[in-house]
Amino acid sequence: MELKIENLTKTFQGAEAVSHMTCTMEKGVYGLLGANGAGKTTLMRMLCTLLEPTAGSICLDGEDIFRMGAEYRKILGYLPQDFGFYPDFTVRDYLLYIASIKGVHRTAAVRRVGELIDQVGLSKAQNKKMKKLSGGMKRRAGIAQAMLNHPSVLILDEPTAGLDPNERVRFRNLLSELAQDRLVLLSTHIVSDIESIANEILFMKEGVLLHSGTPEEIIEAMPERVWGLTVSVREASAYDRRYRVANRKTVPGGIRLRILSEEKPHPEAEEETATLEDVFLSYSEEEESACDESGE
Amino acid sequence: MLYYELKKIWVRPGTRIAMLILIGMLAITCYFAVHGVYYVNENGDNEYGIAAIQKLKAAKKEWSGLLTEEVIADVIAENTRLNETEKGRSENVQDSNIVFGWKQGFHDIRLLLMYSFCKFQEADYYRPDSLVPEDARFFYGNRLLHLQEWLEEEEQQYRLSDKERDFLVRRYEMLEAHKPFYYDYAEGWKQLFHLAATVVMLTMLTLSFVAAHIFSGEFGYKADSVFYASYHGRGRATAAKLGAGLLSITIVYFAVMFLYSAVVLGFFGTDGAELLIQTNQGGWKSFYLLTNWQQYVLTILGGYIGTLFLMLLTMLVSARTKSPVAAVTVPFILLFLPSFIDGGSSPFIGKIMGILPDRLLDVNVSLVLFYFYEIGGKVFGALHVLPIFYTVLSIILIPVIYQVYRKLSAG
Repeated sequence: MELKIENLTKTFQGAEAVSHMTCTMEKGVYGLLGANGAGKTTLMRMLCTLLEPTAGSICLDGEDIFRMGAEYRKILGYLPQDFGFYPDFTVRDYLLYIASIKGVHRTAAVRRVGELIDQVGLSKAQNKKMKKLSGGMKRRAGIAQAMLNHPSVLILDEPTAGLDPNERVRFRNLLSELAQDRLVLLSTHIVSDIESIANEILFMKEGVLLHSGTPEEIIEAMPERVWGLTVSVREASAYDRRYRVANRKTVPGGIRLRILSEEKPHPEAEEETATLEDVFLSYSEEEESACDESGE
Repeated sequence: MLYYELKKIWVRPGTRIAMLILIGMLAITCYFAVHGVYYVNENGDNEYGIAAIQKLKAAKKEWSGLLTEEVIADVIAENTRLNETEKGRSENVQDSNIVFGWKQGFHDIRLLLMYSFCKFQEADYYRPDSLVPEDARFFYGNRLLHLQEWLEEEEQQYRLSDKERDFLVRRYEMLEAHKPFYYDYAEGWKQLFHLAATVVMLTMLTLSFVAAHIFSGEFGYKADSVFYASYHGRGRATAAKLGAGLLSITIVYFAVMFLYSAVVLGFFGTDGAELLIQTNQGGWKSFYLLTNWQQYVLTILGGYIGTLFLMLLTMLVSARTKSPVAAVTVPFILLFLPSFIDGGSSPFIGKIMGILPDRLLDVNVSLVLFYFYEIGGKVFGALHVLPIFYTVLSIILIPVIYQVYRKLSAG
């Protein structure tokens, strides 16, 4: 299976939300990273045939997904960022309804809904109305609905939003199970989630695909290095102004800074291992810095 | 899929509240329908309830039969005789009530005398009191005579074409074949028709709150993305939504009309089903040749077609705008629009007014309105055209709604 995005562009009132994006995805977990407004949701909505591209194409095994229509949606699972549901339906009814519009036969749907309810840990809440569920439970119901039709293409937009750390761990484990033999594309602001699950990362900025590759390759490609340095409280502000500081932590000797810089910021600074979060910060703040410098 | 779409509609608290309100309004309307008829006893006091209805029925049944010239003359004579009694001449209100009680058996025929002997657009309640038995021979002829006099007026010459005037005269002449009319107690049908429009309109307006949410609901709940990203989202799921809407509208409409009919006819009885509507008070001037039973069918079906059309329009606006608020205003606008337009300002506006869907919701009034439409050189009355016209429009709207909704962008 190959999902090929070619020169994909989506324009809203003259502004390009996604610009000339090209990439190919096969089976595996792909993490979509980018700041707010990077174009992640627009891309995902096009991949779900909810939005038509202004230009370019998305093909599944050589066939345009918009031309495939229902046939493509038959193998698609989607959890939107702003996941809506029918508040007066019980969890079970909600999932049975979604199964019906996904074309799952009644008998298979009943079995599948039961399995997924167990898998996402909603067994006790299956007869509760959706509006009575906690944020995390709603999200789990959302994940379950996306999985109802055993999708070959699973698109999850911010699936871990609103989940507490325990639920996030549970979700990561669930996704690892679900990711077998399918293409999973997920976006999240929680970089550690992607770091632990994704085989490949797509880094977007202002509608453009900046980088793609394994987490190691992405980290490798980061133009800056990561330095650790302990300074006094007074000095910390000066470093804040001169460098991109990824983290500040109060330690017995003052403040421990995590600095992103091409050069060693101080002779006593120690190089630390870069993480995806550093990459995210590095790319996301590039423009902010540029704006600061130009006085905007 | 249809089951869940129906469930979506019916589990919504808004739908349940709307239905409770509708049941409440139906109960009030039924109360007024039953309480709107009374029997005046020998003391001149009003009596209400089942026993009163039975007494009134017995009084009116005494006058049931063919309204021949002899019977009309008898009614005029009896009316005059009662007027000339001591109580009849009295100006005391209670005495007048007692006299009304004596006359209530032939009250309906007395009203027909009023319509027959007044000019076309007059309604002088006391006109029958000035008649003599010899006037009975003019009873049926007046109907056509007064119409022709009315048609000679300058305003009607301007408002109606020659063909339309001819059509009207021919329709009136057709009724000649049915004279003498048969008269019977028909209070059940009269009361049923009297408040039927209120019930139909209340049902339609209540249903509009339900219909307005059917298509916009997905967007309101932000469930549209999952819906449209599903296999059947842009196909059968949209059709199921439409089906659930139509089924809900149909079931609620007929359930309400059945309940209303059962209560009213249950209290008053179904006597007079085969009477011509011309023997009902307002129906005297109608050019439609119908019996009470046929008017009932037309009222129920006309109301259904009108409601269905307005609900489909509501669903279309709901699907197009994704807003239940915009959608729910549609039936209100179409229902109340005629109140703000002067239909007499031009024949064209008059014709538009006559074909608005609210005419189908109030068949009882539409039966006595003179709206004509020329199709293929032939003239038809509005009620000949409206049911077909709105059935066709409704059938057209169904695929339009389907296409509009399935092609929407989500989010």
